[in-house]
Amino acid sequence: MVAAIARRLAGMLAVMFIVATMVFFLTRLAPGDPASLMLGDQATAADIAELRKTYGLDRPVAVQYVLWLKEIASGNLGQSIFLQRPVLQAIGERAEPTFFLALFSILIASLIGIPCGIASAVWRGRVADQTVSGSAMLAASIPSFWLGLLFIQFFAVRLGWFPVAGYGDPGADLAQRLRHLVLPAMVLGIVNSALITRFTRASMLDVLSEDFVRTARAKGLPESRIVLRHALGNALVPIITVVGLTAALLVGGAIVTETVFGLPGIGNLVVSAVLRRDYPVIQGALIVIAGIYVLINFTIDVIYTLVDPRVET
Amino acid sequence: MSKQDKDASPQGWSRRELAKFIAGAGLVATLPAGGSALAQGAKSVNLAMIGEPQTLDPMASTADLVSGIMMHVYESLYTWDSDLNPKPMLAADMPKIGAGGLSYEIEIRKGVKLHSGRDLDVEDVIASLKRWMEMTPRGKAVAASVDKMEAKGTHGLLIALKAPVPALLTHMALPSGYAAIMAKESIATPLVSFVGTGPYKFQERRPDQFVILTKFDGYSARSEPANGYAGKREAKIAELRFIPVPNPNTRVEGVVAGQYHFAEQLPVDSYKRIASTPSIKPLLVMPYGFPYFVLNTKQGPFADKKVRQAYQLALNSTEMMLAAFGDEKFFKATAAHFPKASPFHSEAGGAAYDKGNAAAAKKLLAEAKYDGSVIRILNSKQFEFHHRMALVMAENLKEAGFKVQLDVVDWATLVQRRADTNLYDVYVTHSSFLPEPMLSPPQLGVGAPGGWDSPAKTASLAAFNAESDPVKRGALWAKVQEVVYDEVPYIRVGDFAALSATSARMTGLVPMPSPAFWNVDLA
Repeated sequence: MVAAIARRLAGMLAVMFIVATMVFFLTRLAPGDPASLMLGDQATAADIAELRKTYGLDRPVAVQYVLWLKEIASGNLGQSIFLQRPVLQAIGERAEPTFFLALFSILIASLIGIPCGIASAVWRGRVADQTVSGSAMLAASIPSFWLGLLFIQFFAVRLGWFPVAGYGDPGADLAQRLRHLVLPAMVLGIVNSALITRFTRASMLDVLSEDFVRTARAKGLPESRIVLRHALGNALVPIITVVGLTAALLVGGAIVTETVFGLPGIGNLVVSAVLRRDYPVIQGALIVIAGIYVLINFTIDVIYTLVDPRVET
Repeated sequence: MSKQDKDASPQGWSRRELAKFIAGAGLVATLPAGGSALAQGAKSVNLAMIGEPQTLDPMASTADLVSGIMMHVYESLYTWDSDLNPKPMLAADMPKIGAGGLSYEIEIRKGVKLHSGRDLDVEDVIASLKRWMEMTPRGKAVAASVDKMEAKGTHGLLIALKAPVPALLTHMALPSGYAAIMAKESIATPLVSFVGTGPYKFQERRPDQFVILTKFDGYSARSEPANGYAGKREAKIAELRFIPVPNPNTRVEGVVAGQYHFAEQLPVDSYKRIASTPSIKPLLVMPYGFPYFVLNTKQGPFADKKVRQAYQLALNSTEMMLAAFGDEKFFKATAAHFPKASPFHSEAGGAAYDKGNAAAAKKLLAEAKYDGSVIRILNSKQFEFHHRMALVMAENLKEAGFKVQLDVVDWATLVQRRADTNLYDVYVTHSSFLPEPMLSPPQLGVGAPGGWDSPAKTASLAAFNAESDPVKRGALWAKVQEVVYDEVPYIRVGDFAALSATSARMTGLVPMPSPAFWNVDLA
């Protein structure tokens, strides 16, 4: 087990190295220059060249890459060109709303998706199944920005139940800040519940047709026990996978939703960094996101072994 | 650790905080209905801005977003009145100009307090102006003509010039990459403490959440009545909260719902909704800016003046402005580069403007022996109105016989590509409206994208820049404008307005290019 985990950790490091390399070179391949953007249209070529030198952008790309790898190895993700602060600090400042938004969204998505998927599988072909499948398709097709604006219009503007945007006034306590996450979490929860519903349904349908389920029914076990204990337990592996991957995507930043709701999260940070070509922030944030993604994948694999001992790490 | 850094650091998670979170998570489901996050006190306002300022150092960026916030903290020697004429702010009066425009004697107001509590003196002013001349593009341009700056006593300043700079006061008054006066001991790069003389002082910045300014009790106001940014300033609201809200629809919904007391740069199609909502009111600033197209005069088809003139003849500016801004309330198609109130107002050369004459353009193209080379129109969808204008421009040009290619890129790419004349024939951009010709567009200067350089340009601008008398400068500008219409280095398409919305309770906000919240109150 320990050796297997060590092997996985080594694999994770290799993945992170590949991600770091790809992120670095892809950001440099994109046209655009942070110095020109920062100085505006009154700047002369000499001003731009001077600022490029200040940030080391005048050096050969290979040199920049090696220096950057050295910095990362020492735990330093660099200094933001536009925010004038360390990248790690910029990410830290935005971690809280992104983390809670991902957490609440995945909770809502799971609370909707798993029961609906089970119901849909149990009552396959009936009205309940058709209703759930239709709703799931609708939820998957709705653009999150549109649903977000609709929720703002109805719940915030018309009913006044929730704030329109932002993450609380200065000095807002945690409960107030979390209140700002209710609408965006509902939006992301609904949109992401579709995939979980469909995976749960498909997985449950596979398991419900297995021999052991027929045997359990023949033995006269109650249907609820068969479905919720025996079938669901065996159907969990793909469900955990999709829930985990959805969570990883949300931690990486629900960019559109964060923008619509004006949330100071990691998604917003990455988008503005890309638009400004703030290379250190793009690179640093993507590495952190990739790291979280890899860690969640690893955690999912560990959970597999707990749920189903036949699966090896 | 600086105050800024300290305030912006991530919130730690103590046990108490964790307990509050667990309680809070439970509370979310039972939170009371009704009432969004309105201002906590009657004298705090939430101001929805278009984004996060990249810095709070007013000299480190020319972005209006930065100066729009920090103009409440830092003041300059001169500022603009409502007609955008320079008026004294930290200077006691207008300068004594001597030696044929080569010497400016400026007396600084006495008794002005810095936010640190110390009195402002000439050493602060000299240190700040030096920094401005070293850091900002416009300051550097001025510095090239400055011989020396000298203190005359504790509050007298002498600026000696090598060559006249007729727009010196306008440069100093411009609230963009501006000549902010700061406490000399606070000067550093990057700035870590923001010590100015304005009616508001810096309190806290939390990136992507807010910048908070609070009333400066020791503020020394001028005695003249308020006029634009000039005259008496009074902080009637205790706390200004500048909140970045990048999504324009969210800004609209936020101000409609009452979460924001002010929202800037709103989509023009939200005007009806704003006007019909009793709790808010629209605010239009006209002219706010102007879109313009820069032609590549260095190489390609537009290196030929006749082809550029044919291009100008083909364009229908009114159609383009309509496509971009939707309603005549929000734009004005005008040949004059400056409004009627300006000393630079002139229709000179305007006969070539807004023709949309495909037949005449075709004829001129034939005379120029245009070889059918493709015209690459570089534009960005990041500014939707740029792209809409590019689409109309392309149709106008096709009708006149041009071959056209739309190169749609993101703004960062456009900014980089416009510096290379191999990569475009014309690009779409815009500028804020500025009251002095030499401030914008940069094509009137040297080395700007497009590469415009000609004897007529040099001669007309040399005459204009050597003249200090405002009336004579007006007449000389008309000649420059005529050259612009004749040589077509750029097309100024027209003026556009900015739409903002304020709470109906907000009083005293005057329509200026950047909204100023001193003298503003909540009824």
